[in-house]
Amino acid sequence: MLKVALQRLAMMPFLLLGIVTVAFFLSQFTKGDPLVALIGERQMNNPAVVAAAKERWGLDRPLAERYVVYVRNLLHGDMGTSFRTRQPVATDLAQRLPATLELVVASVLLGGSVGVILGILAAKFRNRPGDTAIRIFALVGSSVPMFWLGLIALFIFFATLGWSPGPGRLDTRSLPPPFVTGFFTIDAALAGQGRTLREALAHLVLPALMLGWTVVGIVARLVRASMIEVLSQDYILVARAKGAGEGRVLMTHALRNALMPTLTILGFTFAYLITGAVLTETIFSWPGIGSYAVEAARQLDYPAIIAVTIIGGAAFLLTNLVTDIAYALVDPRLRDRR
Amino acid sequence: MRAGQMKAALVLGIAVSLAGLAVPTRAADTRPLVVARNMDLTSLDPARSFCDTCQIYLSAVYQTLVTLAADNRTLAPNLATSWEVSPDQTRFVFKLAPNAVFSDGAPVTSADVAWSLTRLKNMKSDASFLMEALTAVETPDDKTVVLRTAQPNSEFLNMLASSYAGIINRKVAEANGAVGGENASTADQADNWFFANSAGSGPYKLALYRNGDQLRLVSNDKFWGTAPKVAEIIIKQVPDAVAQLQMLQTGGADVAMQIDPDTAASIKDQNLVLDTVPSYNFIYLALGVGSKANTVPLTKPIREAIAAAIDYQGLIDFTVGGKGRPQPVAIPNGFPGTTDLPLPKQDLALAKAKLAEAGQPNGFTMKSAYPAVNSYGVDLSLMMQKLQQDLGRVGIKLELEPITFAVWRERVAKDGIPITASYYAPDYFGTVQYVQFFSMMSTSSWVKRSHADKVQGVVNEKEGELLKQALAATPTEAERIYREIALEMIGDKVIIPVVSPDLILASRKGVTGVRYSACCNLALSQVGRQ
Repeated sequence: MLKVALQRLAMMPFLLLGIVTVAFFLSQFTKGDPLVALIGERQMNNPAVVAAAKERWGLDRPLAERYVVYVRNLLHGDMGTSFRTRQPVATDLAQRLPATLELVVASVLLGGSVGVILGILAAKFRNRPGDTAIRIFALVGSSVPMFWLGLIALFIFFATLGWSPGPGRLDTRSLPPPFVTGFFTIDAALAGQGRTLREALAHLVLPALMLGWTVVGIVARLVRASMIEVLSQDYILVARAKGAGEGRVLMTHALRNALMPTLTILGFTFAYLITGAVLTETIFSWPGIGSYAVEAARQLDYPAIIAVTIIGGAAFLLTNLVTDIAYALVDPRLRDRR
Repeated sequence: MRAGQMKAALVLGIAVSLAGLAVPTRAADTRPLVVARNMDLTSLDPARSFCDTCQIYLSAVYQTLVTLAADNRTLAPNLATSWEVSPDQTRFVFKLAPNAVFSDGAPVTSADVAWSLTRLKNMKSDASFLMEALTAVETPDDKTVVLRTAQPNSEFLNMLASSYAGIINRKVAEANGAVGGENASTADQADNWFFANSAGSGPYKLALYRNGDQLRLVSNDKFWGTAPKVAEIIIKQVPDAVAQLQMLQTGGADVAMQIDPDTAASIKDQNLVLDTVPSYNFIYLALGVGSKANTVPLTKPIREAIAAAIDYQGLIDFTVGGKGRPQPVAIPNGFPGTTDLPLPKQDLALAKAKLAEAGQPNGFTMKSAYPAVNSYGVDLSLMMQKLQQDLGRVGIKLELEPITFAVWRERVAKDGIPITASYYAPDYFGTVQYVQFFSMMSTSSWVKRSHADKVQGVVNEKEGELLKQALAATPTEAERIYREIALEMIGDKVIIPVVSPDLILASRKGVTGVRYSACCNLALSQVGRQ
């Protein structure tokens, strides 16, 4: 088990280099004026301004040289400077990534746990009204577009009822807690700022619920299907025949086996949401990496595009690794395999 | 030039304002005022910035020599208490306020002014064009600055009122990587420093900037003028107009300037004040007269036919719910030279006659790629669909292709686009920028973009000659000449403005001083609460 994990870890730098290389060259061959974020419309026909911008941003160098410089800088933790924000990409990511992670972790935890519970209940009460209700709830979560769900949620819970705070990670007039992890909830707790912690949690609830709902939609349906399949297996019949209680049958004998595909999906959903929560981030004014990526793509901000691709790729690789380890923990057959 | 030789042609604001002599005071209102906005910041360094939000920030933190008064036309004293212009409009002498200080308490000197303006020129950035005409700066004493231009430039003072021409504390900036010399464009390393610090003499200073989240300003307690009304201002990143409105309604924000007419129409809230004002922004169509993709030559009659086929009022109704104005020429309504210009109007009979004159009585097909953006409340995709209907009525079939701005720019520059659309907002109060950008004189930006230089009979050098005359003329005479240029530009029929969308200034009841400024967008120092 440990050996497999170490092998996977050792492969990661090479896989990451592959991602970097593909991302770097793909972005260079994208259609569009690469100076769009660097020079406004008025000066785009001014040769002196164009030449100065190209020199300053290294766009006058041959592609191969730019690649070598980029990889060398990357090894030192320098991901370049964003064309759009004009700040080091590493600084941008240090601000943006924790915001997204905080939202995605909360959403996946919430959506995953609720999804598993609803999936079990749906399987248990298969084809009964409870099952139908759960399936409709799951279907809405996974099929209704987030831009609509989010806006409606804000309209109802923020603008009309006033139960939820508005968009953003904190109230507009509040200052962020001192930076430690970038998770406002954790940083506020570490700094002993109770009011900021309450605010951060309150602001997290609605976007996490909305994003989590999409996760519920995926997980509940998957758990339901897996559970139905597992519950029809002979060993479940044996367990029941031996007098095991329904709770024990469901949670110990059935769920453990039914969770395997769910773990895979949860892992990939987590990795996907890191760069894919853009609609939630936009609607809830959540300054995360998804909206950063979209803006970067729209303005051909190469350094930011490549960095986000690396982050996204690394997230998938890490998730894969963690999922494999989780498999082993859930399935003794894999744990004991040499 | 000796002082005795110089005739003062324009002297404004001789007396030092009483406010300027006031003892620094603190802002009375300590509750932060929140402006909800989709920020488009490119930099917080005056020499590198170029955007609407940049104008708001810079005018609050950095002071220019002169500024634009509330009437959006007159120049008013700012760091300079008085100024003189030579009769030939090439020498500009400024006397600085004796008590002007930066936010660290250091006096504002002529050396700071010379360095800041030279740096802006040498930075070769978007706003560098403002100082392109500057050829020499003299500093006879600590409080006197002499600026020289090689050619007469009657609009130079207006350019100095642009927020990008803000004066920076040279010593502080240089200590943090700023370079003002000729190598500034590559050697300057202060961009990152300016994201966390400011070095101006304005009523506010930078407290915090988090990209994609917020920009926080606190009042400058060393400010030498009248203290701002609010101690702290937060510009909060809120990309969505509906979310901006909801924040206003719940008190999460005090001011929002990007609420579109449709959203505004849904507001029925006693606690909000909505002020619809004309803006200086506009959306225009551009004809790629030399575009490779043209199916027929875009001759003058064809261009006139296109202009006559457009239902201008219908476009305004369709795109901004009637909250906009027609604009005769690619110079904002109210700018010098735009008085009593003929308004564009739809005339289908004329359009058909012009098409027949051009040998295309049954119309033709045009490719139309355009940036798929929503700018100043106008969704260009919607606008182009309406245009497609209008032109279809005279037989001109548009093939619409929405593309990203980056692709659009590349395509416009490379092969041109037969008919496209874009938008423009002023960088300062003055007409020259529009003539340089939109006219058909051989050096203009749109001559290259429309590829007019590749076909005969479109380049209009008369506009360039008139511009030279205007730059050497007195303001009154210049206004007359600008109008002549405007009529020429209307006649070119290459750039066709379709709508100047109104600006909706939304604020919570009790918020005062929210007004639209041609130089600064929103003057934060004047915003307060009752």
